[in-house]
Amino acid sequence: LKFSYNWIREFVEGLDTPAAELERRITMKTAECEGIETVGALLADACAARVESVAPLDGTHNVVAVVEAGRYGRKTVVCGAPNCRSGVVSAYAPVGVKTVYGVQSDGMLASGAELGINRDAAGILELESQTGAPLPGLAPDNIIEIDNKSITHRPDLWGHHGMAREVAAILGNPLRDPVKLESIPDSPSRVRIEIPDLDLCPRYSALVFENVTVKPSPLWLQYRLTAIGLNPINNIVDLTNYVMAEMAQPMHAFDRDLLRGNTIWARPARAGEFIVALNEERYDLNPANLVIADAGGPIAIAGVIGGYDSAITGATTSIVLESANFQAASIRKTSAALKLRTDASMRFEKSQDPVNTVRGLARAVELLREVSPGARLVGGLADCMKPMVAPPPISLPLDWLTRKLGRPVPPSEVREILERLAFGVSESAPGRFSVTVPSWRATKDISVKDDLVEEVGRMIGYDSIEPRAPAILATVPPANEERVFQQNLRALLAAQGFTEVYNYSFVSEDAARAFGFEPADHVTVANPIASDQALLRLSLLPEIWKNITENAKHLDTFRLFEIGREIHKSAEGLPDEITHLVAALYNKEGDGREGLFEMKRVALCLLPGGELRPAEARAYEHPARAADVLWRGGTVGRLFELHPRLVEGRAAILDIDLRLMESLAAREKRYTPIRRYPASAFDLSVIAGVRELAGGLSDKLARFAGPMLESIEYVREYSGPPLAEGQKSVSFRLTVGSAERTLSSEEVGQIRAGIIEGMRGLGYELRV
Amino acid sequence: MLESQVSELQSGSLARIASAATAAELEQVRVDVLGRKGSLNQLSKEMSKLPPAEKPAAGKLLNAAKQAIETAFDTRHQQFADAALRARLDAEWLDLTLPPPGPRLGHLHPITQIRSEIEELFVSFGFAILDGPEVETEYHNFDALNIPADHPARDMQDTFWLTGGNLLRTHTSPVQVRGMERYQPPLRMIAPGRVFRNESVDASHEHTFYQVEGMMIDREVSVAHLIYFMKTLLTAIFKREVTVRLRPGFFPFVEPGFELDIHCLICDGAGCPVCKQSGWVELLPCGLVNPNVLRMSGIDPEEWNGFAFGLGLTRLVMMRYGIDDIRLLQGGDLRFLNQF
Repeated sequence: LKFSYNWIREFVEGLDTPAAELERRITMKTAECEGIETVGALLADACAARVESVAPLDGTHNVVAVVEAGRYGRKTVVCGAPNCRSGVVSAYAPVGVKTVYGVQSDGMLASGAELGINRDAAGILELESQTGAPLPGLAPDNIIEIDNKSITHRPDLWGHHGMAREVAAILGNPLRDPVKLESIPDSPSRVRIEIPDLDLCPRYSALVFENVTVKPSPLWLQYRLTAIGLNPINNIVDLTNYVMAEMAQPMHAFDRDLLRGNTIWARPARAGEFIVALNEERYDLNPANLVIADAGGPIAIAGVIGGYDSAITGATTSIVLESANFQAASIRKTSAALKLRTDASMRFEKSQDPVNTVRGLARAVELLREVSPGARLVGGLADCMKPMVAPPPISLPLDWLTRKLGRPVPPSEVREILERLAFGVSESAPGRFSVTVPSWRATKDISVKDDLVEEVGRMIGYDSIEPRAPAILATVPPANEERVFQQNLRALLAAQGFTEVYNYSFVSEDAARAFGFEPADHVTVANPIASDQALLRLSLLPEIWKNITENAKHLDTFRLFEIGREIHKSAEGLPDEITHLVAALYNKEGDGREGLFEMKRVALCLLPGGELRPAEARAYEHPARAADVLWRGGTVGRLFELHPRLVEGRAAILDIDLRLMESLAAREKRYTPIRRYPASAFDLSVIAGVRELAGGLSDKLARFAGPMLESIEYVREYSGPPLAEGQKSVSFRLTVGSAERTLSSEEVGQIRAGIIEGMRGLGYELRV
Repeated sequence: MLESQVSELQSGSLARIASAATAAELEQVRVDVLGRKGSLNQLSKEMSKLPPAEKPAAGKLLNAAKQAIETAFDTRHQQFADAALRARLDAEWLDLTLPPPGPRLGHLHPITQIRSEIEELFVSFGFAILDGPEVETEYHNFDALNIPADHPARDMQDTFWLTGGNLLRTHTSPVQVRGMERYQPPLRMIAPGRVFRNESVDASHEHTFYQVEGMMIDREVSVAHLIYFMKTLLTAIFKREVTVRLRPGFFPFVEPGFELDIHCLICDGAGCPVCKQSGWVELLPCGLVNPNVLRMSGIDPEEWNGFAFGLGLTRLVMMRYGIDDIRLLQGGDLRFLNQF
C-alpha cells in the first residue's frame, strides 16, 4: 500500500522528518516499509506557460512553439501534442536544451502523465493559471510503500489518516483530524436503508446530493490518487477513492436517477441473481454473496464492486453516496469466490470500524464542495446500524507488562504511549491500568492485554530491551530415534558414494502411470500450480527416474539417493506418510550385473543379514532382475534393475520402507561368547540347473548339515565341460564345530556324508 | 699338518664366499664346507685321530675356523637376501597418482547438512526435535494458530488444498500445536521440515521449501529472553557475532510479533546492494506465543509464557553457500549436489 508523505503531513502538524528517516521509524515501530519512490520530480520547477505561437515542423507531426514561461522567459520548444496551439496555457518544465529534428528545444511542455499528475499522455496539460504561476497544489512527493502483509491486522492503517496517527504518536507531534461531523445536517434522509441481517452489514450510511456536475477532478486530487497508484476517473469517483485512501473507508456513488425506488437493501443475493459490475464483467451471485440492491435487484456487490447500470456517468446530476460497513469474513468469501479483489474488499476484509462510515461521509461533504461546486446535499443522513457496544476496558497489570517485555517501563511512559495512540487510560488500582480501546483498533486487532504489550513494546523500541538469558531447567530432551536412524542411513550411503537428492512431493499422472499407479489412488491437490503437479507421490521412484535420466545426460556413472515421504490415502484421518529410502546406481556401460551386485552389497550394509528373494517383476522393473528385500522376517523393500526401456544404460535401484525397517531394527545387542574349540571346514559342490538359485541350494545344504553348522559360504560356480549343457556346479564352504568340544574327523565325516545323502535324496548330484 | 689344512680351508672358503655371485653359489659353498658331509666335518673326523694331548689345541683351531666361515657366510647371505628384497620391492613400484577403484564419497544434501547442524545446536540447548505430517488438517495449520477461516492472514500463505479438505502444511508451525498437545509445559522444541506454498517457481521462489520451527514454553519467558536466545542461536549458526534487531511484524500466532533482522553479513551494517543499502537483512519471524494459541492447546496463558520463531532453512542454506537459484536445491542435478 502506498502512502504519500505530503498527504500524511497534512495531518501531522510540524512534520519535518525527512521521508527516509520517517520510513525507518515506521518500519521500526509500526509496519514494514518496502521503499520510497519520489514522484512528480518535474513539478519542483514547472510553471504555467502560455503558448505564444506555433509553427509546423515540416515532415513531422510536431510543432515549434514559442512559449512565455514566466520566470524562465520566452522559450522555444518542440512539441508533439495535438493540443499545442496558440493561446493555450500549459505546464512548462525546464528540462534542458536538446535538438529535436534540427531545432533547439529548450525545456518542454508537459502532459499530465509526464508530470505524474494523471495518466493522460494524449496531450499537454491545459491550465487556467496565470503565466509563470507555479502549478496549483502540485509539488514533488515521496511515496512510502508499506508491505500489505504487515498491516493485515490494522484496518485503520489502510488510509492516510490512520498512518498519520501512527506517525504523530511516533514523533510526538499533534494529529489533525480533517473530519467535520457538523457538515452533515440533522434532517430526514431521502433514502431508506433496509438491512435484514445486521451481522453481515453492521452499518450502512448514505447521503444524497443533487446538482452534481461530473467532470475531471482538480489536478491536485488527480495527482494525489495517481501518486499512490489509483487511476483518476471523474470527480465523483475520485472523491470516493480519495476518502477511502484517506480515511480507510471505502465508498461508492450511485447515480440516483438510475436507482429504482427510494429504498436500498443490504441483503444476501437471491439464487439466480446476477450483476454486471463496473468492470463490465457479469457475476452470477448466490445467497453467500451480500449485495446492495434497489427495488429492481442488485446494484452492487457489497464491499467489493459497484454495478455498471447505476454507475456515475457524464450525465449524472444526482448521486447517492454509500459509506457502509460489512462483515469482514463475508466480504472476503465473496471476493475470493468471485476472484475479484478490489481496493474496497481489501479494506473490508480487515474488519473496518463501523464508526468510520459517517466520518467518511462528513469528509466527502467537504470535498464535494471543492470538486463539484454547486452540488447540494439534500436531506440528512440515512443510517442503519447494529447497536454499537463499546468493548470492555482491558485490565493491564504493570508488573505483568514488565514480565512480558523483560524490562520495566515507567507507568507515566506507558500511559503516554497508549494515550498518544488514542487509548483511554485510567489507574484502576495501584500498579494496574484500565485501558479503553479506540473503535478503529477494537474490531479485531486489540482485545486482550497481550495486545497492549505490543503497543508499549513497539513504541519504547525493542532495541531498548536488554537481552537476558532465560532461567530454565537443565533437562535432556526426549530423543528422536527416527531422525537418528535416518541420519545414520544418510551417512552410510554417502560413505558408499551416494549423493543425496531432494525431490518434490508432486508427480504427474503420466509418471504415476509409468510406475503402475492409478491417478485415482493418489491424494490429489485441489488447486495445483500445474496439471502435472496435481498428485502427491505414492512412491519416490518416478522422480528418481527423472533424476537418473537427467544426470545421465552429463555423467557416465553415478549414485544417488533420496529419503522422503510417500503419501498414501487412508480411510480416515490424515493420509499415511511413509518414509522411504530410494537409492540408484547408474552405469552407462556394461550389462548391469555389476551394478546390481554392488547395490546388493550396499543393501547388505544397510540391512546386515538381509536376503533377496527373486520376485515377479513389475512393469518398470527388468523382468529377470527384481527381488524383494527380506530382513528380520519382514519384506522391507525391493531391489531391481530399472527396465532398460525406461533408461539408456543400466540403473540398479533399491527402495526400502524405512518405517518398517526401523520397526524391525534391533534395539538391544547381546554378546555371544567366542567359540573355544577349533571348527572344521570342507567344500561341497552341488550340480544343478543353471537357473537354480544359489541361495536355495545353500539353504538346503544348511538344513542337512544340522546344528553343528557354524557357517556356509558361497565359493564359486562353474558351468561347461564336463558338465552337461544347462547345468552348473555351485561350490560352498561349510564350517562345522561345537561349543563343547573339538569335533573328531569321524563326526565331521558323518555330517558331510549326511549332507550328501540328503542332497541326493532331493535329486542333486555332488562333486566331491 | 692339520694346522695348515685348517688354515687352507678357512682362507679357501672365505674366498669362495666372497666371490659367490649368486645366492645359489653361496648355498653350494655352505653345503661344501658347513654341510654334514662338508670339509669342516671331514677335518673334525681327522682330528679325532690325533693323540689326546694335541686334541684341545686342534679343536680350538677348528672351532675358530668354523666360526669365521659361518660369520662370513651369514653376512654374505644377508647381503643376497637384502638385494633380493630390494629388487622385489623395486619391481613393485606403483603410480599412486592413478585413481583408485570404487566409488568416491557421496554428498549429503546441503539442506540435510545445515539441518543437522541446527538440530545439534538445539539439542545442546535442551530442545526436543519433533516431526509432524506434511499433509495437515486445516485446524492444525491455521485455526489452532489463531488464523480462522476467512481471516485475511490466510493470504500470507498461499495454500495447496487437497481434495477432501486437508492441505499441504504451509509452515512448520502446526508442529508447535502437535508438540503442545503431546507434551506438558515446560517445553522446548524445534520442528524442521518440508513446507509448501502455492507459488510459481522462479530463481527466488519455490513451492516446496524447508523451515525450522522453534518454541519454548516456560513460566517466565519475556521479549528480553527471546532476544538473548535469538542472538545466541544466530551467533552459533553464522559462527560469528551477529547484531540483531526486532521490529513489529504481524503473525496471528504470536503477540507481540516481530520480524527479526540481522546486520547484513556482507557489509556488516554499512549498507550494500545485498541489503538494499539498509544495512539490515530480514531473517526470521518470531514473537511471544499468542495466549489464544496456548489456550487452544490446553495451556493456561496466565501461568505459562512462550516464544516461538520460524527459521527459513532453505534461505539459510542459500545464504551460507551463496546459492542464487533456489530451484537448484530440488533439481536433483549431481553437478550441483556433489559440491557439498
